[in-house]
Amino acid sequence: MIDFAWLADHLDDLLGRLAQHFVLAAIAVGVGFVLSIGMSIAALRRPRLRTTLVTISGVIYTIPSLAMFAALVPVTGLSTLTAEIPLTLYTLLIFMRNILAGLDAVPAEVLEAADGMGYSSRGRLRRVELPLALPLVIGGVRLASVSTIGLVTVSGILGDRFGGLGFFIFEGYRRSFPTEILLGAIPSILLAVVVDVVLVAVQRRLTPWSRSNPADRGPAQGLPQAMGSSV
Amino acid sequence: MSTAERVVFEHVTKRYPGTGKGNPGAVEDLSLEGPAGKVCVLVGPSGCGKTTSLKMVNRLIEPTSGRILIGESDIANRDVIDLRRGIGYVIQQVGLFPHQTVGENVATVPRLLGWDEVRRRARADELLKLVGLDPGRYAGRYPSALSGGERQRVGVARALAADPPVLLMDEPFGAVDPIVRERLQNELLRLQERIAKTILFVTHDIDEAIKMGSLVAVMQVGGHLAQFGTPDEILASPASDFVARFVGADRGLKRLALVRVGALELRPAITARVGSDAADARRRAAADDFRYVLVVDDDDRPLQWIHPDRLPAEGQVPATDDMAAAPLFERQTTLKDAFSMLLASDVQAGIVVDGEGAVLGLVTADMIGERMRQAS
Repeated sequence: MIDFAWLADHLDDLLGRLAQHFVLAAIAVGVGFVLSIGMSIAALRRPRLRTTLVTISGVIYTIPSLAMFAALVPVTGLSTLTAEIPLTLYTLLIFMRNILAGLDAVPAEVLEAADGMGYSSRGRLRRVELPLALPLVIGGVRLASVSTIGLVTVSGILGDRFGGLGFFIFEGYRRSFPTEILLGAIPSILLAVVVDVVLVAVQRRLTPWSRSNPADRGPAQGLPQAMGSSV
Repeated sequence: MSTAERVVFEHVTKRYPGTGKGNPGAVEDLSLEGPAGKVCVLVGPSGCGKTTSLKMVNRLIEPTSGRILIGESDIANRDVIDLRRGIGYVIQQVGLFPHQTVGENVATVPRLLGWDEVRRRARADELLKLVGLDPGRYAGRYPSALSGGERQRVGVARALAADPPVLLMDEPFGAVDPIVRERLQNELLRLQERIAKTILFVTHDIDEAIKMGSLVAVMQVGGHLAQFGTPDEILASPASDFVARFVGADRGLKRLALVRVGALELRPAITARVGSDAADARRRAAADDFRYVLVVDDDDRPLQWIHPDRLPAEGQVPATDDMAAAPLFERQTTLKDAFSMLLASDVQAGIVVDGEGAVLGLVTADMIGERMRQAS
């Protein structure tokens, strides 16, 4: 069923597509993260802005990805921008929810102690609130990465220059050639798993304090609350 | 160590919008002075404004009117961040930073003040020692690895890190169990003997207030100061029905905890050394209305009580084991403990001994009762 000779011929293609897949996803996750951090900090003490931003990113999240790629083609053409805009927008809801949940979870007495000792509000955010939000923030990065790696395949609809590993899936489907479909599907799954494992290691490294307390072992427990069922 | 500064409230009022006078947390025309280097306790039922009053000192809450002085300067004129860095702050839930080690937590204010790493570390170690935690064992731990009592000690160390002249403590021992609380209270009192800070201490527990305070401010709902005085004054003569009810019907007993045996004029004991003249001891006992003779050793340390009828008419005072020479008090024993031991003993007199164990005199239940009546 699997055509190994064909696979051997196309290993170079695989590496190229894998790199493209990774880069497309990394740009979206990176840009989405920076935007979301900014929006979350702006929204943190402004309840109305917060509701507005979370609602908008929630609405965006409900738009089917194929539709969004297609809708952008008349505006931005068949460009990298057309691939990256939807990928980035889909990360916003994940990031905003996790970052805000992380900041909300900082205990009130910790904030009171910080204020009482003379932290400025910026110093408190930087030295106390953001570090304590880190487990949930990194949890957001994990979720956004995995979900974006999945969505990059869909951008293959825009043509040969996009889609990363999704290219193989589309082409294999068109040619009714299962080996090529698997060449797209399996590496993209592996990529998602590897990225997730690396991020877990990063989180453990960055939040040594959350390991000493077995009741608070990072994002695994936090995620279901942070990314609620309303998505 | 820096010098302590007094804290003065001058007609301080805090009202919350919309609810008028008498709402929980409000403070009405509060004037009092916490003298430099003393513990001043704000005590009252919940909603009486004691915590609000405390938080106005580091401006976590701004007063509606009136002013607060630290030393001679009005805190309203100080930069709020500077002000807070110069005031120690301890809260019930401690509020240690979970992402920082104990050492980093303690060095928080020094870091904010820009001290270098070496100096911060040395200071953190010094303070951990001061609160009875071994820096080698504790400085590198995260707060989640500490017990409640240890966290509270770290909280106190953190508050003292930049050697502030004033310390604010908001129910600092409210969240720990009674045994640990008692120990932390004693530790704080011992610590205060060394550091002599001006401490404003908030509690809802009148027993804690009496124990910790040089001065106690009793507040009642509506934010009124019901009485301000020494613990003994408040227990001996409550200024109002509210204060009398708040301190409790057992205020007489509570006062006993404030006075120590050394404050009483001791009754001389009729002592007789083993081997001394028994007839002489009988004669002296007969002349005294407390009839028992206390047999002592050559260094005047009590051995046992003996009733004069059991002394031989002639010859020497024997070394019997008739009645144990108990209870024994020291000058530092509180009248509360002394009274309690007297109630449980066969002889209605306690023996006060000095550091070497030699007899100084006697205390009776009547003497304790007399003392309480005099002072009120």
